[in-house]
Amino acid sequence: MLRMTNLSKVYRTHMIETHALRGFEIEVREGEFVTVTGPSGSGKTSFLNIAGLLEEFTSGEYILDGVNVKGLDDNARSRLRNEKLGFIFQGFNLIPDLNLFDNVDVPLRYRGFNASERKKRIEDALSKVGLASRMKHYPAELSGGQQQRVAIARALAGSPKLLLADEPTGNLDTQMARGVMELLEEINAAGTTILMVTHDPELAVRTTRNVHIIDGRVSDLVRRGPTLVDARAATAPV
Amino acid sequence: MFGYYFRLGVRSLRRNPALTALMVLTLAVGVAASVSTLTILHMMSSDPIPQKSSRLFVPLIDNGPVEGYTPGEDPEDIQISYKDALNLLKGGQGVRRTALYGVSAPVQPPRADIQPFNLTGLAPTRDFFAMFDVPFLHGQAWTEQDDARGADVVVLSREIAEKLYGDADPVGQRIALMGFPFTIVGVIDNWMPLPRFYRLNGGVRYGAGEEFFIPLATSIRHEVTHNGSMSCSSNAGAGFAARLASECTWITVWFETASAGDRAELQTWLDNYAADQRKLGRLKRNAQNRLYDVPEWLVYTKVVGKDSKLQTWLAFGFLALCLVNTIGLLLAKFSVRAAEIGVRRALGASRAEIFRQFLIETSVVGLVGGVLGLVLAFGALALIGMQGKQTAAVAHMDWQMLILTFVISVGAAILAGLLPTWRACQVTPAIQLKSQ
Repeated sequence: MLRMTNLSKVYRTHMIETHALRGFEIEVREGEFVTVTGPSGSGKTSFLNIAGLLEEFTSGEYILDGVNVKGLDDNARSRLRNEKLGFIFQGFNLIPDLNLFDNVDVPLRYRGFNASERKKRIEDALSKVGLASRMKHYPAELSGGQQQRVAIARALAGSPKLLLADEPTGNLDTQMARGVMELLEEINAAGTTILMVTHDPELAVRTTRNVHIIDGRVSDLVRRGPTLVDARAATAPV
Repeated sequence: MFGYYFRLGVRSLRRNPALTALMVLTLAVGVAASVSTLTILHMMSSDPIPQKSSRLFVPLIDNGPVEGYTPGEDPEDIQISYKDALNLLKGGQGVRRTALYGVSAPVQPPRADIQPFNLTGLAPTRDFFAMFDVPFLHGQAWTEQDDARGADVVVLSREIAEKLYGDADPVGQRIALMGFPFTIVGVIDNWMPLPRFYRLNGGVRYGAGEEFFIPLATSIRHEVTHNGSMSCSSNAGAGFAARLASECTWITVWFETASAGDRAELQTWLDNYAADQRKLGRLKRNAQNRLYDVPEWLVYTKVVGKDSKLQTWLAFGFLALCLVNTIGLLLAKFSVRAAEIGVRRALGASRAEIFRQFLIETSVVGLVGGVLGLVLAFGALALIGMQGKQTAAVAHMDWQMLILTFVISVGAAILAGLLPTWRACQVTPAIQLKSQ
């Protein structure tokens, strides 16, 4: 689904160079639910932005669903983003003056679906997150958890292959966070690959794989019983 | 996507009503100022008879004295002498020809309830009406025989006919003009070319229609003096007959040719005529004999003054100032939309799509500004029109200007929106999404 090989990202100002990612290697297979953890400044956000084609990388290779994204122009990257990716953000990022229907409609418009197709997809997506009855409401009329559900519906409406979630429960209380996490697990169970950045170790242990990033490099972790252990150590006898 | 973006644009107008109102008002004031002055310039300089303006020619024969003359300089007047006018008429050139001068005459109304009053009008020959496509409400132009014998016949304007006879057809009635009984042979319908190109002397160039027409020969027979300017390079002598025989210029001649291509032939004839006159001791300046079609005539006679052009430039300068302000307001409006741009980019909008969306949004501002600008322009033109009859004649909008108003408004808004829109496209989505 996603493969990055020897990828690096360097931010340059006229004074200094900052290596956000270096020799970064990762492969996410179709159907996986992968969490990305790591301390602040470790490169999690840079990785997610590059994975979501929101930022260019400096060197290396990135294959997204069989497409080498290096050298693609803005139109091609936007089309790829629209067709293959779905985004869920910590701050929900709904457009405040559009109602729920129109918010979910945004990515479908760029896809070029006709009106009836868009309507069907919007209604299906909002039904999936339990908000079909509130599609004429505006984001400000919803709780944080409900807003995040709308954001999930918006991400799902275009049937993306990969869902990128950046701290999706970071702005929610425990109960709402649990609800959102359960929803993501359902989506993953239905076949959508999910890549989720989180600071919450409890969420990390619920997924099939955890990628830990330190100083712009990957340290792959897997679940062993109730705890996560280094993937290399997991192969050694207990 | 155009409809989608248009709807988003309309919706965004409501997002920040105060800022939107300020933008629309700024744009509308600039548009109103430029459109109202442009309308006046357009009306002043428009072709008054487009269907044949390239086939109507006015000749200028310079009969001024040699003293103080520099070869190549313009004649002192835009009219010619009576003797030249008469000779040009007799020459029979073109398919039609006329000589004319402005006249005024007292009229004794047939109704007791109306006091005698003065009419201003024109003394042309019969061809005038056909040459300038003058529309008739009743009757027709006088005959060639009337021209030849200087018959006491008159054509009235619709306004005067209705004032004197109401809705009745007055053709055949007799009316006392200058104390003589004149037979009414026709009534023309409303006719007021802008500018009054056929007679540009006398200062009144707009908004003055003719109230009556009498044959040139009749006017001469009754010794009706000209109503307008006259230029004499030497003492004309006393009396009307002396004026007719003088080199004073106070009359205008027009030719109509079958096609614009007949101009060269007419020019040759005019040059030959001038050469003959020189042999008789006249036209000592030996100046070039000029021939102007209608558009050339309007330029030569400076129908559109420098002041009008300067005012238009100033108004467009003001529009530019309004645009600069609009750019600032749009920058402010779009800068608060960075988060939305980030979201749209993440959801699949390319930079080109964002550019399209925001440009259409500025067009909506331009459209609303255009509507308001149109209302303000109508108000400004009404105010200008109240300044006098001449300005009232040119201070009204035709459909071309109506369309141009929207083109200017939307064009100005798009121009103002280019920089803010370009900047909106440069938003880095990753930063905006994280900062939410």
